[in-house]
Amino acid sequence: MINLKIDGKNIEVEEGTTVLEAAEAAGVYVPTLCHHPQLTPYGGCRLCMVDVEGARTLQPSCTLPASDGMVVNTNSEKVLNARKFVLTLLFSERNHFCMYCQVSGGDCELQNRAYDEDMTHWDLQPNWQPFEVDASHPFMVLDNNRCILCRRCVRACGELVGNFTLGFEERGADSLLVADYDVPLGESSCISCGTCVQICPTGAIIDRQSAYKGKEIDVEHHVGVCTECSVGCQRDVLTRDNHLVRIEGDWDAPLNHGLLCDQGRFLPLEEDRPRLLTPLVRKDGSLKAATWEKALEAIEAGLGKGKGLAALASTRLPIEDLALFKSLFADGLEAELVTSLEEGFPTASLAALADATSDPFEDSLDALKDTDAVLSLELDLVEDHQVAGFFIKRQLQDGTKLIVADSDENKLADKATLKLDFKSKFLDQLLDAVENGSDDDGINKAASILKEAEKPCIVYGEDFAAQADEKELQALLELKQALNATLIGVKGNANSMAASQLGLDSPFKSNGYQSAFVMLGDEKPTQKLVKALEEVPFVVAQAAYGSQLTGNADIVLPITMWAEQSGTYLNMDGRLQEAVKALDAPDGVLTSQEALLKIAERLGIEPETDWEASLKSRVPTIEIQKA
Amino acid sequence: MKAFRSMVLVSSDPDSMERGALDVFSKLQQQIKAYDLDEEISLSMISDVSKKGRDPLVLVYPDAVIYGSVTPADVPHIVEEHLYKGQVVEEKQISPYDLSGSVAWLSARKGTLPAENRIVLKNVGLIDPEIIDEYIINEGYQALGKVLNEMTPEETISIIKDSGLRGRGGAGFPTGLKWQFVKGAKGEKKYVICNADESEPGTFKDRLVLEGDPHAIIEAMTIAAYAVGANEGYIYIRGEYGLAISRMKKAILQARDYGLLGENIFDTSFSFDLHIHAGAGAYICGEETALIESIEGNRGEPRSRPPYPTTKGLWQKPTLVNNVETLANIPAIIRNGAEWYKSIGTPSSPGTKVYTILGNVNVTGLIEVPMGITLREVISIYAKGMKDGATFKLAQTGGSSGSIIPASLQDTPMDFDSFKNAGVSLGSGALLICNEDVCVVDLAKVLLNFFRFESCGKCNPCRIGNKRAYEILSNISEGVGTLKDLDDLLMLNDQLYELSNCGLGQTACSPLHDILTHFRAEVEAHIKLKICPTDVCPMSGRWAYQIDGYRCNGVSLL
Repeated sequence: MINLKIDGKNIEVEEGTTVLEAAEAAGVYVPTLCHHPQLTPYGGCRLCMVDVEGARTLQPSCTLPASDGMVVNTNSEKVLNARKFVLTLLFSERNHFCMYCQVSGGDCELQNRAYDEDMTHWDLQPNWQPFEVDASHPFMVLDNNRCILCRRCVRACGELVGNFTLGFEERGADSLLVADYDVPLGESSCISCGTCVQICPTGAIIDRQSAYKGKEIDVEHHVGVCTECSVGCQRDVLTRDNHLVRIEGDWDAPLNHGLLCDQGRFLPLEEDRPRLLTPLVRKDGSLKAATWEKALEAIEAGLGKGKGLAALASTRLPIEDLALFKSLFADGLEAELVTSLEEGFPTASLAALADATSDPFEDSLDALKDTDAVLSLELDLVEDHQVAGFFIKRQLQDGTKLIVADSDENKLADKATLKLDFKSKFLDQLLDAVENGSDDDGINKAASILKEAEKPCIVYGEDFAAQADEKELQALLELKQALNATLIGVKGNANSMAASQLGLDSPFKSNGYQSAFVMLGDEKPTQKLVKALEEVPFVVAQAAYGSQLTGNADIVLPITMWAEQSGTYLNMDGRLQEAVKALDAPDGVLTSQEALLKIAERLGIEPETDWEASLKSRVPTIEIQKA
Repeated sequence: MKAFRSMVLVSSDPDSMERGALDVFSKLQQQIKAYDLDEEISLSMISDVSKKGRDPLVLVYPDAVIYGSVTPADVPHIVEEHLYKGQVVEEKQISPYDLSGSVAWLSARKGTLPAENRIVLKNVGLIDPEIIDEYIINEGYQALGKVLNEMTPEETISIIKDSGLRGRGGAGFPTGLKWQFVKGAKGEKKYVICNADESEPGTFKDRLVLEGDPHAIIEAMTIAAYAVGANEGYIYIRGEYGLAISRMKKAILQARDYGLLGENIFDTSFSFDLHIHAGAGAYICGEETALIESIEGNRGEPRSRPPYPTTKGLWQKPTLVNNVETLANIPAIIRNGAEWYKSIGTPSSPGTKVYTILGNVNVTGLIEVPMGITLREVISIYAKGMKDGATFKLAQTGGSSGSIIPASLQDTPMDFDSFKNAGVSLGSGALLICNEDVCVVDLAKVLLNFFRFESCGKCNPCRIGNKRAYEILSNISEGVGTLKDLDDLLMLNDQLYELSNCGLGQTACSPLHDILTHFRAEVEAHIKLKICPTDVCPMSGRWAYQIDGYRCNGVSLL
């Protein structure tokens, strides 16, 4: 432990702590600009300088390791003058006339730091060359005129996301933020994760969707889990006057610590499907608006029970809804088929393995954050579950090896150490190679990479799970043993794992069902599903948005979309997390839970509401815990 | 190995080549063969020795005769008269005083000048750097042999510490102590790096050693690696030094061939090998952590220190970084002992220093003299006085960020401590001597332009502060400066010193500070009287503007 004094306070910290961290722990405020808790300290802005007794000059506290007996002063006159000087220089460097900027008035860290120092103007004649604004990207605008060259965006794009799109060109006062080798951002290797927008302290990187629509003082925050895939990132949904303003990552979230992908951050705000606002009942060949009463009447009349009834639910819905759905249709109505829209594709074979071994075999996503070799099976982590891909990509330049085994094109392959063709019985061959060596060069190389690694990780997704037979899955478990590897199973949608636990994983073959109940939520129905349902005479759909499926249905019930409902989600590595309601639904629109309860009441059924118990109905592939 | 009675050198810099140096060379080859002298006379091409207008040059040693503006037609006569008969062809001969630049010892210095003592430049100009045997014959690799066969790493470090050798790159840090830090640092893997980036304007002392005596560096680095426990090394040579790079490459190959580099050197268990990394045109990469970043493939931006390279350097491993000149002293110290080294120079700064003499003096070039010589001695004895009888106005020592020495300080001994006490810095040993035709505002402006251009851009004070200072000086040189500008400049100097991330920013404005201390009246004349006393500054009355060459598309007025 190290003992030092900051502004007269005695503080004890661990070895390796910087002076800035020590000051923060002691409650002493030191202003910063280029510093960010998620990034390695940079020491570029020189705003955090402090007076260290005995040192030749002021020292940057963000990079200076605390040492025993250090005496630090953070507010001597020298320090205060230095801060004003740095801020003055920054203001004079580029166009920092604040009138037109969307972050002016509280959301700009440069402006805030200047106000903190009681500055009202700056003394040096500004002299900058105007830079072109880069508006080529669909979600972001890059304005170099407002950049303070703190490099937070560059460091985040590299250290946190592993994409390394942003960089700096030229040198000295000509330094310029560019994408790739100076191409427009919209034509670059940018994957639209938006981490740079979130981390930029000024208005240099602008979020197109929300610019000028709401500053910090105007908006409300709703922190909850993202519902776009099974990673389960925590995100902060900002609203104003019951409108979605922006989605941001939550820097304090233990799993994704602020990262999101375009599917979780930008695309949800691009919703343009028509919204369903009233129940619809088919009369004389076409759907007509009706009251909830009328709709429930029609459901009671036509739904039926037992054989001939099929019920399907979206895995984007909360567990509470899915458990209620199962209780109503499987236990209450004894429907012939009760399943999810995914039909168990991402989970069935793995769940069967857990059933057989009675032992959870998968590991936490945190294993991906610290690994020296990754084997990726039939999984393109650039296409989806992107944040899991970030964990891998950002370690590659520190020596972590990546083996991509895919039967198809895989966008992660060009960063991989080794790309192999995935065929059936791949794991069997790999296990053989690990134990005895192999004739196949590629598999041999993969085996030796994994054997040499200290913390290897095998990550697979639904394409692997769907084609794996018992022998392959056995090989997976044996490889885990032989290599001391962690296994990470990526699982489809936000609640695919919950659906699996509830047993909602049977396939849907439209073999003569008389009626079907489709709890679509806000999901986009596949063409396959639409076609299959065309064969069913009576279809009830519960959905938020209009689609071909709802257009063909007999009864349509309008329900909430993701932002208008709260609920629990079980992500791919067993974490139970809450999605938080951020908006009020339009009048007349109910949550799918409320709609199901109304139906149950109408049919005289009292469904089971203890969803926690129902999750325990089978052994999961990974232990479930409350996050 | 061959011994020749004469060496004939032909200049091969771009200007000489343009004027037919290659033809002169072939003609010489032909003629020497025709007179059957090719076993006695060695003929080679050398780089940059010339003065414009006198290319190509032909130099003959040991006679120390220089022929200028030589054409192929002149060659038969020169070969017959001088090489064959031994009579100098006076009509073609030019004075060595007309030359500036590299050739450090020439001509009138047939003996050595008083106090000259060649340790670093011992072999430069005397041996063919592309033949390893010539180095070996001149006590080459003896020090390495002694160290590997008779001394422990601790003993090696001890000798260097005792010798009092201090770093010659500019900082003057005790070399032995640095070696000890790296030796004591935790970790199996360590590196040794030679900083041959030499981008300080006006300094070319390292270049001469790299081009003229590359094996000295190889030997020194191997000794250093043995002492600190490293087995891999890098020589970071600035990209512009093409000849240095190719000579060093050749030297490394030859050393490997002879078992003096690579596995089991001198048949001991010690192995060490070298890589060459070429720089890409950034002055900042001479800063040791920026250099390390550059080798790692990143932007050349200095790291935050601590930790220092001695604990976490290249690839975060303990790394020893030494300047070329510092390393060139090592073999001699090992061979002759610490006491010998301490007997030269001053108690606080033993040994010799290679100084580069530049400016308005009669003789420019390199000299190697014991530490402690004064500026007046350098000017009057070595530089043979101010040119055309001009008056000494100021000198800048130590490169572009070095101190400005007015006439009053000419007698301060030039060693690290005496200079420090007088408030001036010695730096890398460049001595820019200016006469009264030099305008201090213009000088400051030119220096600040250099720093503005070379700043890496990582930290705000240096990146923006240098630009602002340059703009202020431009305004003063255009006659639109104000007295507040001088306060701003001093403030910029103080703050840049306090806040900058590395030495570039910290010292960029110090010549400016010195100028305002010693020559304030002249600067104020630009402001108050709107005149430039030396008539150098444009004084156009207009605000200074800059053309951004990067964005200008060259549209011209029709």
